[in-house]
Amino acid sequence: MSEAAAVADLFGGAEPSLALPPVQLDQFEGPLDVLLHLIRSQKMEVFDIPIAMITSQYLDILDAQVELDLEVAGDYLVMASTLMQLKSRLLLPRPEMDDEGNEVDPRAELAAQLIAYEQYRMLAEDLNERPRIGRDVFTRSIFPESDEVERPLPEGDLDALLLAFRNVLKRVGGEVRHHIFSDTMSVREQMTAVLEQLSHGGIQLDEFLLANPGREVLVTTILAILELWRQQTITVVQSENYGSISLLLKEAAS
Amino acid sequence: MNTAGQIEALLLASDEPINLQKLRDMLADELDSSDIRSALSELEAHYQERGIQIVQVSGGWQFRTAPEHAELVHQLWEIRPQRLSRSALETLAIIAYRQPTTRAEIEALRGFKVSSSIIATLQERGWIKVLGRKEVPGRPHLFGTGKPFLKDFGLNSLQDLPDSAQLMDEDEIQNLVGNNVMQIQQGVLYETEQNSEASENTDDEENSQQGEVGSEAEETSP
Repeated sequence: MSEAAAVADLFGGAEPSLALPPVQLDQFEGPLDVLLHLIRSQKMEVFDIPIAMITSQYLDILDAQVELDLEVAGDYLVMASTLMQLKSRLLLPRPEMDDEGNEVDPRAELAAQLIAYEQYRMLAEDLNERPRIGRDVFTRSIFPESDEVERPLPEGDLDALLLAFRNVLKRVGGEVRHHIFSDTMSVREQMTAVLEQLSHGGIQLDEFLLANPGREVLVTTILAILELWRQQTITVVQSENYGSISLLLKEAAS
Repeated sequence: MNTAGQIEALLLASDEPINLQKLRDMLADELDSSDIRSALSELEAHYQERGIQIVQVSGGWQFRTAPEHAELVHQLWEIRPQRLSRSALETLAIIAYRQPTTRAEIEALRGFKVSSSIIATLQERGWIKVLGRKEVPGRPHLFGTGKPFLKDFGLNSLQDLPDSAQLMDEDEIQNLVGNNVMQIQQGVLYETEQNSEASENTDDEENSQQGEVGSEAEETSP
């Protein structure tokens, strides 16, 4: 016996639901839609929902699904537990009171939710029945679904930007690659180059830098020199203020 | 010169609905708004029984084919317009009637997830757009309808949304539920459960819920 059927048995309301024709969950727009279907098709009073019966019918519907899409299952299961919680609250001997001492029907909240949703469900139908461009009415030579239609430029707002971005994403196949280019120069290589130069004797810094033009090369070279200096492989000597700076190999200097 | 004829020409040649201001700018100076309005109603009357109509949409006027010829006109193209899913329609309806609103509010009302693809589809058509952000934690997007919504659904303004006057807000629903629940409690007090279960057996199988839905909500509106 399935879990849902077991719960239904617990509530003793399994038989009436047998009379209901089977339905598929994907015909519904969520748990409220299912409940409204059950309530309206059996001409029940939304303010006075027979919770036990509705719960067992609801669980029967969930149970009848071959597989429940995890994406949507959550909301349906939350409603199942809400219904069972309602039932248990109704079974409590002492009625619930609000701040003013009036009796509170635990089902009131669900009824309000159902009525609110039902309103929009109706309005959605009303909207759908309105004559719609491209379906019921047509303007001169424009067929909205056609690609050849020239569309007016979107207004320059956030949505237009998002739309443009989405279109770009579509064009690149929904995949955005972030390219990281590896350095064309490495500090380590440049360190070797500096040492190579120095092995032929000390050099002036400005001459050395002039021989290696380009921003990237300059930065790498300076980093290489600093690194070599830190490692005590070379020394950097400036004999006077604002004077030229010489680089020397450590061994040569000592 | 014949004003109605001029307007007719402008409306036919324009891709977009033309509003009163624009018509006035383009027509001779000495015409005021009431002249143009009367010319427009003259045209509207003239096209009443024809295959095309002059319709007021999105604050302007536009030539459109009459809805009764939809099937015929569709033969011009091979592609049929896509049907809108119920989730898309419900989401659109909630946004249209409650704007500005957030996705969380839509989901709370529907008691069901709103998928991102639906929001994206509605945005792509220009039916909904982001109006700003709500100043609550997470700063969620506030959605409202865009101009294409009015045009595509043949609405002149948001006031023309069907039945918007009948829509109950949360407080009205609370009162309605409160009153009804009280009546039920006074009537049968906690035997409601057994009663309705017993009476269920006498109910006929009734599966055509569609007609029922509308009348029920109308009875209950205050």
